[in-house]
Amino acid sequence: MSEIESPQAVEEIASPLAAPGRTLGRDPFDDLADPDPFEERLDQLEARRADSPIVQHRARKVTAEPSLATKSTIRRAAAHREDDLPSRDNLTRLFGRRWSTTPPLAEIELPPAKGLIDRLLNTDERRVLTALAHLVEGDAPYDRFGYSPEAMKAAFPFFHALYRLYFRVRSEGHKRIPGEGPVVLAGNHGGLLPFDAAMAIIDVALNTDPPRLVRAVVDRWAGSLPWINIFYARVGQVVGTRENFAKLLDDGQLLLVFPEGVEGIRKTIAHRYRLQKFRVGFIEHALRARAPIVPVAFIGSDDQSPILFDIKPLARRLGVPVVPITPTFPWFGPLGLLPYPVSYRIVYGEPLRYHERFGPEAANDSRLVRYLANQVRRSVQLLIDRHHQ
Amino acid sequence: MTRILVTHADEPIGRRVVKNLYHDPGVEVIYALGSGPPPRKFDAYLAGSNPRVTYTRLDLAKHRPIHDLFHSAPFRAAEIDTVVYVPRHGAGASVAAPLLGGLSERTAESRLLLQNCLETRTIRNLVAIGSAFVYRLPPGNANHLSEDSELNLDPDVMPEIRAWIDCDMIFHSEVHNDRLRVVLLRVPTVVAAGGYVYLHPSLAGRPGSRVRALGFDPICALVSDKDVARAVRAATKTPVSGIFNIAGSEAVPLSMLARWTGHTSIPLPGPLLSMVDATERALGIESRLGAGGGAHLRYGFTLDTERAAAELGFRSQYRIGLARAGDGALRLETASI
Repeated sequence: MSEIESPQAVEEIASPLAAPGRTLGRDPFDDLADPDPFEERLDQLEARRADSPIVQHRARKVTAEPSLATKSTIRRAAAHREDDLPSRDNLTRLFGRRWSTTPPLAEIELPPAKGLIDRLLNTDERRVLTALAHLVEGDAPYDRFGYSPEAMKAAFPFFHALYRLYFRVRSEGHKRIPGEGPVVLAGNHGGLLPFDAAMAIIDVALNTDPPRLVRAVVDRWAGSLPWINIFYARVGQVVGTRENFAKLLDDGQLLLVFPEGVEGIRKTIAHRYRLQKFRVGFIEHALRARAPIVPVAFIGSDDQSPILFDIKPLARRLGVPVVPITPTFPWFGPLGLLPYPVSYRIVYGEPLRYHERFGPEAANDSRLVRYLANQVRRSVQLLIDRHHQ
Repeated sequence: MTRILVTHADEPIGRRVVKNLYHDPGVEVIYALGSGPPPRKFDAYLAGSNPRVTYTRLDLAKHRPIHDLFHSAPFRAAEIDTVVYVPRHGAGASVAAPLLGGLSERTAESRLLLQNCLETRTIRNLVAIGSAFVYRLPPGNANHLSEDSELNLDPDVMPEIRAWIDCDMIFHSEVHNDRLRVVLLRVPTVVAAGGYVYLHPSLAGRPGSRVRALGFDPICALVSDKDVARAVRAATKTPVSGIFNIAGSEAVPLSMLARWTGHTSIPLPGPLLSMVDATERALGIESRLGAGGGAHLRYGFTLDTERAAAELGFRSQYRIGLARAGDGALRLETASI
C-alpha cells in the first residue's frame, strides 16, 4: 500500500538550498533564485531575536494585543480587594494550551461490530476511526467545526475504496509528519475535484499512529455550496479564514493547505505539475503557532482531469473558479468532471521548522514571509520533480 | 458590597441573572426592572421587611419613565453602582423590534440606559448582554469567530440582527470610558432546560414551524442560561472592560437544535427563501429571514472564548443535551459539568 523512503533520500529532498547547484529545473516562479543577500538579513534577524528584550516585548505585543476597537482595559476597582480577583498567571496556567490528540491504536478497545458500515471496515480501519472520534470533546456529536465521527465513519469505506482500487495510492514519508502538535502540510493542488485532499486524509489516517485527522483548508467558495459545505464540515474540513486557521493550530491539529489556491486547479495541461505563486497566510500562522511545515507532493492529481482550456470570462460571470474544457467535459455532462483512474503518489517531505529559527514576530515581516513561502514552494516543486519522472 | 440594577428581570435570562446575583454574598441590593408583574419566583426574594431585591415595572424603551426612575429619591438612595442590561428576549421575542421614533425597541432601550448610566455619578459599571449574531458570517458550515472578527454591517441584514448590531455599537462606543466601566458580553443561542431557546434570530419564540435553507445546516454555538448568569456575575466582579464572547462547549447543527427545542424546520431552496422574505416585507410582517434568506440560515459559527477565560475567569460549566425526564419524554436539559 505504501512504502517508506530511506532516510538517505529524505536528506536530499529536505534541504533544497543546501542541495548542490540549487537548480530548480522547470520552476516558473524564480524571482528569488539567489537568496544570499536575504540570507544575511535573516541571520541578522535571528541574531537580534536572541535574548533581545525589545524583540521579546514586541513578540508579546504581537501575540497578545487585541485590536484597538475591542481592546479590553485592565483597571483596578476600588470596590474589590485584589486577592479576590482571578490571577492572570493562574488562569493562563489553568487554561493553557491543550492539544487535541488521539490515543495510540494499541490502546483502542473496539466495541462489537454492528451495522453495515462496521462490516465494510476491517479491524484496523475501525480502530483508526475510533481513535479519530476522540478529537470530539466528551460525548458531543460534533466538534466546534462541525466534524462528526459518525459522518466520517459513513464516508470512509467509499473513499478508502477510491484510495485502494481507483487511485491505487502509493505514499511515502509518513514518519516525517510530527506525531502531535500543530503541523501544516503544504502541497500542490490539481484536478477539478479535490480528490488530492481526500486521498491525503485517508493516507495520513491509515499510516500514522496515533492516527491524525487531516483538516484540509478549503476555499470560501466551497463553503457556500449547498450540501458540499455540510459534507466538508462533517468530515473535518474547514473554510480558510484567519480565525479557523489560528484556532486549529492552537488546538494542535494537522492542517492541509494548498497555497496555490484556486490557481492550482485552473492549471491547463501545459502547466501541470508547475507550481503557481504561493499565498503567504499559512506561513504567518505557522510562525505564530510555532508549527512545522511539511511539504507534500501529490503526483497524479494534475492528470486526473487535464484541462485543455479554461474559459475565464465565463467563470467570472458564473462566479465559479473555473469553467474547464477537458477531454470529457462538457461533452459528457457532469459525468465528464469525474476523475480518470490515474495512479496517485503522495510524498511527504522533511518538515521545515521555520518557527525554530524565527519568532512569532517574524510573521509581521512581509518580505520574510514571502521568502519563506517561496522556500516551501521550492521544496514542494523539488519533491514533484524528483518523483514525477 | 455591590448594588446592582438588572433590566428585564421578569424574563427568563433576567430571572436567572437575579437568582445568581441573589446568592452572591458580595451583592447587597438588587434593583430589578421588568415590563410585566414580578415573576412568582421572586416572591421569596421580595418577602420580608427589608428585602435585598426590589422590583419595579418600567418601560425601558421610553425616555420619561427611565429618566424619572434614575432621578427618583428611592433610586438615588439605593446608590446603585452596577447596571446589568439584559435585553428583551422572552415571550415578547416575536415582537422584538417594533420601531420607536425610528429606532427599534432594543436600540432605544440600550441608548437610554447608557445615557442615564453616564449621567448618574454613582454608577461605575455597566454589563450588557449582546448577541454573537452581530458578526459577519463567512461562508462555511462552521467558522470560529473571535471578538476581533468583523461585524455584519450589510444594509440588507434582517431587522432583528440590525437591532443587535446597533445595540452592540452603542455599548462598544463607551468601552474605553474612564468613569464608566463597560463590559459587553456577546452570547450565541441561549438554551434553557425544558427546550427553551433565546436570542436565536429564527428559533426564538414559541415552538412552531421555521424555515431553513435547503442544503445548509449551520452549526450553532450554544450556551446555557445558567452560564450566561455566571458570566454576568463574573463581569460585575472583575475590573476589566471590553467585549467578550461567552459560549458553552456544545455546538450543534440548526436542524438538530430545532428538533431539540420543539420546532419543525422546513428546508426551502434559496430562491423560495427570498420570495418568503419579500412576501413578508410586502405584507408588513417582521421578517425573520433578511434579504436572500439571511446568512445565519446558511453559515454557522462557534466562538472563541479565550479572552473571557483569561480576563473574566469565565469557563462554561454547564453541558447541554437531551435527557429523559421522569415522564419518559426526551427533553433538552442543562447539566453541570
